[in-house]
Amino acid sequence: MSNFSILKERLMQETKVKISEAVGEDLMIVQAMNTIDELNKVLNSLSKRLREWHAYTLPELNHDVEDNEAYCRLISTKSYDELKDEFGKNTMGGKLSDEDIEIQIDIAKNITETFKMKDKLVLYVETLMKRIAPNISILAGSSIGARLIVNAGSIKRLAMMPASTIQMLGAEKALFRHLKTGARPPKHGFIINHPYVAAAGNSKGKVARILADKLSQCAKIDFFKGDIVADKMRKELDEKFKKE
Amino acid sequence: MEEMKKFPNVFEEKKGRNIFYFIRTNDKKSFFEERVISKKGELFREVDPERSKLFASIAKGISQLGIKQDSKVLYLGASHGYTVSFLADVVCNGEIYALDFAPRVVRDLVFLCEDKKNVAPILDDANHPENYKDVVPKVDVVFMDIAQREQTKIFLKNCDMYLKEGGFGILALKARSIDVTRNPKDIFRITRSQLDVVMNVVDYRELAPFEQDHAVFVCKRKSSEPIDFLNIPSIVVDQKKNFLPRKEFSKPSFRKRH
Repeated sequence: MSNFSILKERLMQETKVKISEAVGEDLMIVQAMNTIDELNKVLNSLSKRLREWHAYTLPELNHDVEDNEAYCRLISTKSYDELKDEFGKNTMGGKLSDEDIEIQIDIAKNITETFKMKDKLVLYVETLMKRIAPNISILAGSSIGARLIVNAGSIKRLAMMPASTIQMLGAEKALFRHLKTGARPPKHGFIINHPYVAAAGNSKGKVARILADKLSQCAKIDFFKGDIVADKMRKELDEKFKKE
Repeated sequence: MEEMKKFPNVFEEKKGRNIFYFIRTNDKKSFFEERVISKKGELFREVDPERSKLFASIAKGISQLGIKQDSKVLYLGASHGYTVSFLADVVCNGEIYALDFAPRVVRDLVFLCEDKKNVAPILDDANHPENYKDVVPKVDVVFMDIAQREQTKIFLKNCDMYLKEGGFGILALKARSIDVTRNPKDIFRITRSQLDVVMNVVDYRELAPFEQDHAVFVCKRKSSEPIDFLNIPSIVVDQKKNFLPRKEFSKPSFRKRH
């Protein structure tokens, strides 16, 4: 064996070890969140399709029930005659054969199953967040916190970010428009969904800045496995924002 | 199909307006779903210049790359290994040290290395060349394709440690990752002046139709003396200018395109 092939063998082993060590728990959050996003897309388009299809025979149900999940559950659990009694006694829908309705019920069952799967994933992300990033999930809530981790790439990268970057996460388009053309800068990214920022009225930028500051502290504490301090922060912020 | 004079193992075929590029190989396997054809008992893999900056520069007519059949190459920013898989065929008697930072892409690279005998994977940060100094020897060619803000500096650091005297350094520059707000032409000009201080820039091509706002620089190392980083002028970002509406973007340019 030549020098190079000996060296290569050593490098192969080293890289394989490094790759296996790089798998962390925050990657699970990233994958789970992405799965939730994709499920949302699929659920939306599938339930729209089912609505179009089922409305041939019972348009009143489509009109009365707006929530997709409730709509699919109704179709999958109740029989066609029951639904007809409940929603459209003199319906304008056409008559379909039993075969047609059966396949619609099958689709509705599948969609409700997928809705359950999504709820399961949301719970999974919540428990993961509580374990990996307890401070962030107390201060920001698990869904916003997970969204921040996904956008940063990993909890390590989130911890290395300055507070101003965390404030802008999710507003990249507006930020680069500002840098390129000199348009007005964005004030908040994902943290707009946080109750503090949403309720802030005219001072959204100020609240977003303070919240991002605290969040960046939390991210650093979580990454280096520190104590839980977010309760205290949350109380401070509550008092601060009540006065305004 | 003809072999290109300046580049070993690279073949070009003209069909009407289109030019196709092929690399001579000895393995039937198609790694990235590319076309593999055989002619007169030899096998050829088709390379797509839109996916590889190295071969885009060849398609744009770069005068030389300094890559020979027995070259040792340090490849920084190997990613999934698209270019590496072709480069491994080009330097059929040489060695390639393929480095990348992200574990996800090196996973694909390891599978490639199992098939290509002359490629060795390294998972490390190109910003710290001292990390892999005990595995990488002095090389003939340093190729770098990483989209980083300080990529010129990282490139020179690696050339300083690993490039032989008279060896070639190839830098694929992404202007948008250095500064989005500036005109790419300015960035290419400044980068060229930075490289010229410590190395000889032999040739340079913009990759316009294949890759927007990218350029490839080919430089030759002058001497084996360590590079003095203090002499290199820096790309200064004017912070005040950044917050004004920039007129130069709306101005049409009347310079000839080539």
